[in-house]
Amino acid sequence: MNVKKPELLYLDHAAATPMDEHVLAAMQPFFQDEFFNPSSPYAPAVQARRAYDDAKHRLAVAIGGKADEVIVTAGATESINLVFAGITGHVVVSAVEHPAVLEAARRHEHTIVPVDAKGSVLSEAVAGAIRPDTVLVSIQLANNELGTIQPLREIATVVKAERQRRAEGGEATPIYLHSDASQGAGQIDIHVARLGVDALTLNAGKMYGPKQVGLLWAASHVTLSPLIVGGGQERGLRSGTENVAGAVGFAVALERASRHAAGEARRLAQLRDTLQRELLAAFPEAVVSGNQKKRLAGHLHISFPGIDAERLVFLLEAKRVLVATGSACAANKNTRSHVLEAIGLSPEAADGSLRITLGRLSNEATSAQALAIIVDMVRFEQQRMKK
Amino acid sequence: MTRIYVGMSGGVDSSLAAALLLERGFEVTGIYMKNWSQDLPGMKCPWAEDLADAKRVAVQLGIDFKVFDFEKEYKHYVVDYMVEEYKAGRTPNPDIMCNQEVKFKLFLAAALADGADAIATGHYARVRCEESRCAIHHYPVSSRGAEDGVDDSTAQCTKAFLCVAEDHDKDQTYFLYRVTGEALATTLFPLGDYTKQQVREMATERGLWTADKKESMGVCFVGSVGMRDFLGQYVKTRPGDIIDKATGSTLGRHDGAIFYTLGQRHGLDIGGGLPYYVVGKDMAKNEVYVSTNLNDTAMWRRELTLGQLQWIDHVPSDSAGLTVRLRHRGALLPCILSGTVVKLEEPERAPTAGQSAVFYLHGNCLGGGIVA
Repeated sequence: MNVKKPELLYLDHAAATPMDEHVLAAMQPFFQDEFFNPSSPYAPAVQARRAYDDAKHRLAVAIGGKADEVIVTAGATESINLVFAGITGHVVVSAVEHPAVLEAARRHEHTIVPVDAKGSVLSEAVAGAIRPDTVLVSIQLANNELGTIQPLREIATVVKAERQRRAEGGEATPIYLHSDASQGAGQIDIHVARLGVDALTLNAGKMYGPKQVGLLWAASHVTLSPLIVGGGQERGLRSGTENVAGAVGFAVALERASRHAAGEARRLAQLRDTLQRELLAAFPEAVVSGNQKKRLAGHLHISFPGIDAERLVFLLEAKRVLVATGSACAANKNTRSHVLEAIGLSPEAADGSLRITLGRLSNEATSAQALAIIVDMVRFEQQRMKK
Repeated sequence: MTRIYVGMSGGVDSSLAAALLLERGFEVTGIYMKNWSQDLPGMKCPWAEDLADAKRVAVQLGIDFKVFDFEKEYKHYVVDYMVEEYKAGRTPNPDIMCNQEVKFKLFLAAALADGADAIATGHYARVRCEESRCAIHHYPVSSRGAEDGVDDSTAQCTKAFLCVAEDHDKDQTYFLYRVTGEALATTLFPLGDYTKQQVREMATERGLWTADKKESMGVCFVGSVGMRDFLGQYVKTRPGDIIDKATGSTLGRHDGAIFYTLGQRHGLDIGGGLPYYVVGKDMAKNEVYVSTNLNDTAMWRRELTLGQLQWIDHVPSDSAGLTVRLRHRGALLPCILSGTVVKLEEPERAPTAGQSAVFYLHGNCLGGGIVA
């Protein structure tokens, strides 16, 4: 007999998302029935090529770009590395970027711009960091830990102004704006023209698509050079037999996420706001971090000062509530989150923080259950420590 | 209530040790000793996962949990010692040094300073003391208090003895003989009465996270790299000759005498014929001597001279019933000890310099010394 597993209360959508059943169904044929190499000459392989090209086209359309400007990669980290590998010169990044961006920036001359206490990058700070030899500005669409949505349009204006200045002064050095939009797709607008970016990174695994699949969109004027050479696929920028299933799944995932973005964001914001309100009512000393006015709908970064968040995570998992710590492992004091350091959160608060990220697995019922369990477990820890 | 700090490594043994102490009515705090965290070529040090496992079990048990950082001390007392010994041509036992210097000295002191009455570990060994009201060694504390209406005893022994574990096959007293009687007075080994099999079962019964966790073997940080690669990180080695002891002729080349140990058969890279065994080496000349003669006198010894003798209680007054063990899980060999010389009834194969000879009498581990 099939015993139904007790339901998980999953509150970590920023880390991973379960695959959408439509995505899975769209990918399925390409594992066995249509397994062909898109580069092979016979008709069934040509069909696979068409499916792949169609997927890239749909990916491009979903973000307002052209298919030729899309490179399918094995995830956001690769996309980020690819855009950084193509440039020679100075780069500007924010202090709260994902490690993939920070590490890639370290391979170049770079300036890290600070953020305010809400984790927002200030466009003036970016303007101040840009030098005549700056070639790339890379700012995330939204922060993965805090949910803070960055003012990309403002930053795009700054970059545009610099480009204008160089054009007028006859300077040949190009300047590009890249955004790591791994977080936020499916909740906010990711139309490249509206954002004003020259390059954009997306990750299928964060939007109910397959893991190890991502894309780099780069406008045709952005120079790129390949990280992986070989058979010359993806216009020579990413060799290796195309991941047809992955691209097809990614296209479906992105389309579905985009189509439902506005409604889903409203729904999640409501759930998140209730959760935040109730947790603050139960624990007035708790601290919510991030930009409350410009925040991803599903994100709630909350600190319970004095509590060891890692213990809390273990207590919660035993009650089937899965949630991330808001900082790195508290027991290892050397690796506190660079994001929380950047916003100046006290170590005590940082060590007691949870990152709750809601998504498609969240609804009113599960959210209410999770809330009750979190309140219980925080109280339990508080009691234990009083002894 | 008696307060115990239990060293939790993230393995099943120390996890169950913590659970048993709690069931026996002690107030228990889990401690992860951070001794080593460096990755080595081809091996990711699992310390962070081990720490998370230990902490998860502590949370399961509802006990306090702390991290004690001994990385600097461990490097000094254990790793540097080990490397120096190898450089001197000996084969040291880092586990014994770790117990002597880190676990039952530094950890013990840090725990007592932090408010503990005693420490515990998941070693397979037993401690016996002669103070019948000793609050540490004569549990169950809670049932005694409750049923007899007797207050929790505050008596504590000042010296205790080391006894072999119920599970003779798992017994780890060989690694513990350099722990002092005074240290043992504030030490508990909750697993000493159980077999490994029982420990796994009890951990499973209690639903402990680590119940099925794979065993780590040997010196933790060398485990999957191998001593050879590890030493290669710390010591400059140069190739030298492998010489036939009988003929004096050079048979081949080795990549550093430091890597060879007495009695070793493998790794000589000499083709064909009878297998060669290492029967000696000269560290200064960087030469390794080998022989095909399994009966080579260097391979078999009946008499061993020991250095750094250390006794948990006192020097055994005579050798009646005295036995000695030359390696972990090795046989208990009848012997006669006079001064620093131990005489065996039968010649024993290749007890290497730097290894320990540990003495036992009627199930008690008395102490021992290091083969010179």
